[in-house]
Amino acid sequence: MTRNVVPDSNTLVLGIETSCDETAAALVMGGNDVVSTVVSSQIEVHADFGGVVPEIASRAHLQALNPVIARTIVEAGVDESRIDAVACTYGPGLIGALLVGVSAAKALALAWDVPFVGVNHLEAHLYSAFLEDPSLEFPLVVLLVSGGHTMLVEMQGHGRYRLLGQTIDDAAGEAFDKVARFLGLGYPGGPALDREAMNGDPDFVRFPRAMSDDPSNLDFSFSGLKTAVVNYCRKHPDVGTADIAASFQMAVVDVLVAKTRRAAQRIGATGIVLGGGVAANSLLREELLGACASDGIRGFLPSRAMCTDNAAMIAATGWYRLKSDGPTPLDVGAFPNLRLPLVDA
Amino acid sequence: MLILGIETATQQVGVAVGGHEGVIATFEVARGRRHAEILTPAIEFTLKQADIELAEISCIAVDVGPGLFTGMRVGLAAAKALAQALRIPMIGISSLDLLAFPCRHTDRVVVPVIDARKGEVFWSMYRQVPGGLQQVAAPTVGPVDDLVADLLARSQDVLCVGDGAERYRDEILDGYRCEISGPAYPPVGALVQLAHARALREEYLRPGEIEPVYLRAPDAQINWSVREERP
Ligand SMILES: [Zn+2]
Repeated sequence: MTRNVVPDSNTLVLGIETSCDETAAALVMGGNDVVSTVVSSQIEVHADFGGVVPEIASRAHLQALNPVIARTIVEAGVDESRIDAVACTYGPGLIGALLVGVSAAKALALAWDVPFVGVNHLEAHLYSAFLEDPSLEFPLVVLLVSGGHTMLVEMQGHGRYRLLGQTIDDAAGEAFDKVARFLGLGYPGGPALDREAMNGDPDFVRFPRAMSDDPSNLDFSFSGLKTAVVNYCRKHPDVGTADIAASFQMAVVDVLVAKTRRAAQRIGATGIVLGGGVAANSLLREELLGACASDGIRGFLPSRAMCTDNAAMIAATGWYRLKSDGPTPLDVGAFPNLRLPLVDA
Repeated sequence: MLILGIETATQQVGVAVGGHEGVIATFEVARGRRHAEILTPAIEFTLKQADIELAEISCIAVDVGPGLFTGMRVGLAAAKALAQALRIPMIGISSLDLLAFPCRHTDRVVVPVIDARKGEVFWSMYRQVPGGLQQVAAPTVGPVDDLVADLLARSQDVLCVGDGAERYRDEILDGYRCEISGPAYPPVGALVQLAHARALREEYLRPGEIEPVYLRAPDAQINWSVREERP
């Protein structure tokens, strides 16, 4: 039987993340003090394919995980006997990739005789803001934007979420990747398009802002925008890539910011928090902060490293979940389609 | 010396513990697809029944494949993590070696065959030598027809074992006269026995040196089809 652990400010949690194309580990104390964090990215091994290849990702995780964990412990300068719990993403994500992390994490928990905590990757993104500012107050609106997700979530308290809106087709990050690839900007598309847009005119073309007529509708749609970009380029082959990239980016950011703002007003949020890989986009960061300033509410943008996939957010969420739910049984597997746990009202 | 063996390369999850006194306890469940759920509790259970603490284990042995990729990785990830956390060495053994091992007393050629899905099988060949078996053909993956052709080319008495041999029994027997029997899945007791022999020779590896045997390049398929949209 594993040791019973009631997490407090001295509880040291090892976080592990292998749900997509980053192999990551981190040690976090007391739910928000990041002692060390290591991320090994697989971007290069997937670049030739223009997207994440599941089998390649799984193989790379298996190879990278032990050294990443070892480095995390060395960088923290603590003895591993100090580790009080092991938290690991168990969904959503690529099943083969998730299973590498979950299997390793459960084995570590068994070997060290400490609790294992399965962590929801989406919930962890919501927690990344608390890592940098534990003083954030509820209710918060979280805009979670990544390659796999685009959702507006009301965070009423720790572990209490309500879905306000989400994409009905492509995720925002997926739209970035697809348009970047169409424009020949390389992989990963988000940062490449962000850079290209710096040299372009965001008002050059006014691409459609889908689903923004009805102010009560907080859902998103990005597949039509992608099609509009493709059609425009076919009709206007002479227009420069930078102007297209800037105009496309402006259309995405416009919609994201407008709906987030509306969501914050609707629930009377104390602040807006950004999470997910697309949260590293410079225009989105700038526009969202501007909107928060003019609405007089707090805008919290985690650092770029905390927005993209990392294990510190997993360890932090693990700390909260250990506190609220206790350890996860060792006969748990991985859940590729895991959803955010929602409350009714 | 006590060795903990972990085997998840096929439909089966296997855990065994043993050492100088032989295999002390084994656990085998062949229900497929739930390797990650079963493995950790199976390790706890096996050790508990054998009255052995994890801290007493001095080496982790693991089946490195070939086999089903996702299942294989569950065992490899767990085995490597255990070795890392307990600061003990590892020994990796091929799933084909494990399948052949119980047939070591026959004078026929032993051909372990593992189902590789998609109409293909993994196989290799072994013959008896003093003190055990010697691999006489390197591990291969290919269609069942290739296996039959390989068998025909040798024209020796053959014993085929493994879930691949069972699944393609008709195809194999149709092309070649041989016997199909023996274990369907890599026996985890054999993992501890074979690892023990290597441990005596101190043929240890660090977790980072354990290499999975895939034999097949990854399927480079991505999740969305955007390629055709490019003009
Ligand atoms: Zn993510």
